[in-house]
Amino acid sequence: MNKADLHLIRRGVTKLILRPEAPLMGFGMSLFFLIVYNAGIGGIGFLEAFGPGGYFAFIFPIALVSLAMGSSAGASQALNADMQSGYFRRLYLSPVSRKVLIAAPMLADIASTLIFSSLIIAIGALFGLPFRFGVLSLCGVLLLSLLWAITLCGFSTGVMIRTGRHQSAAIITNTVFPLIFLSTTYMPRELITSDWLLFVSWGNPVTYVLEGMRFLLAGTSPANFFIIAVAVLGSSSTVSILFAFKSANKMKF
Amino acid sequence: MSEIEIKVLTKCYKEDIKALNKINLNIRKGSFFALLGPNGAGKSTLVGIMTTLIKKDEGDIMIGGLSPEKDFSDMQHYIGAALQENELDPAETPFNLLHFQGRLFGMSNIKARQRADELISLFGLENEKNKKTGSLSGGNKRRLHCALALVHRPRVLFLDEPTVGMDPMARETFWRVITSLNQNEGVTVMLTTQYLEEADKYAIDMALIIGGSIHFQGTVYAFKQQVNAGDNASLEDNYLKYIKSL
Repeated sequence: MNKADLHLIRRGVTKLILRPEAPLMGFGMSLFFLIVYNAGIGGIGFLEAFGPGGYFAFIFPIALVSLAMGSSAGASQALNADMQSGYFRRLYLSPVSRKVLIAAPMLADIASTLIFSSLIIAIGALFGLPFRFGVLSLCGVLLLSLLWAITLCGFSTGVMIRTGRHQSAAIITNTVFPLIFLSTTYMPRELITSDWLLFVSWGNPVTYVLEGMRFLLAGTSPANFFIIAVAVLGSSSTVSILFAFKSANKMKF
Repeated sequence: MSEIEIKVLTKCYKEDIKALNKINLNIRKGSFFALLGPNGAGKSTLVGIMTTLIKKDEGDIMIGGLSPEKDFSDMQHYIGAALQENELDPAETPFNLLHFQGRLFGMSNIKARQRADELISLFGLENEKNKKTGSLSGGNKRRLHCALALVHRPRVLFLDEPTVGMDPMARETFWRVITSLNQNEGVTVMLTTQYLEEADKYAIDMALIIGGSIHFQGTVYAFKQQVNAGDNASLEDNYLKYIKSL
């Protein structure tokens, strides 16, 4: 990575700071889920299936999942603004690697998601969120948040580049949103009585993200969920970055 | 000595539509070259390929001995382009855009600032230096757009309809800058325009492209001699006579 690449990444970060709508929306959505669900269903947290952290620790991972969902459109919005103004073509004619042109706003977006995720985790810790393995749990949760953010950001950026419309990036959020409800988001596996929902949840990547985080926080899930979550998100984040970079080759000027 | 060499260049957008059909073109170093042709002739596609914005299907291009595919970074340093549409970030000031452009091309902070100030002065944008680009007049946006193409002191300059939207004063300033670069610093200029009086006034060499094929390449003088629209006929008169004869 050369100096010009770094300048471009810094520009991406600055743009995001000046137009923080996407990460702020993600942060707001995340807090909303955490507060509303804990207030509404938190009373059943005494059940053994929720573990020692109660319902707050159980529902907490959804706050991190929804944070990335809300903020993943930031990179595509920034890229779209440059494409609409024509400035992207000016950058395209610079000696900066064309992959970096796509990667810079994505990096800024992912960094902001990580910062806000840390903030949400800090808020959680203040309210007694347990970390089963201490700092290792914190690192593991941040790793899953990072991979989840990359996955969403890469796909939404790729879709925007291919369609040329930043609204198209919402396709990713709209696709992922139902997956939250088709998972073990609100109830542990033991308390879900519907066979079809359990069956669907096993094929749903969101389940592994949530259960992987639960293994690290209150320890209500086995370790293999975390391993599967890293494998699934590692693959999906790689595919999404490749998709975004491949989409850059489809650009028409 | 050729600055730009194009051999058998072909570009198809769909199977049957050839935007460029086996084009051969040589542009000598330091020349002021006009690429002329009606709308849809293939001019923008040709410029797009030369500036690495569009991928060619077949053929070879060398600019200053560099290949767009193999020498990407060196090529971007060697060429500059002010294309048809403005390429400005409306949220930034002209100074910041020029400074950032310099930094992207590897200039130090101080040198990039100096170059930004130099170009602001050259294009008469002193009063607009710290205004948001989005609030500038159309003519000033155009001036800034052209100034951005010059930040890194390119050796080959592609100008695609550069003066669209400029008032006469801005046009005069613009052409003074460009002709000075061409005559005093030996920068090769490739101009694409529909304002044929500008091509007539400044260009020495030209090519006429129609339907993706080169119909003429030589000097502007030779084109006028060949078409022979009259003793004092302008390039536009000769161009129109040629087009109508097809």
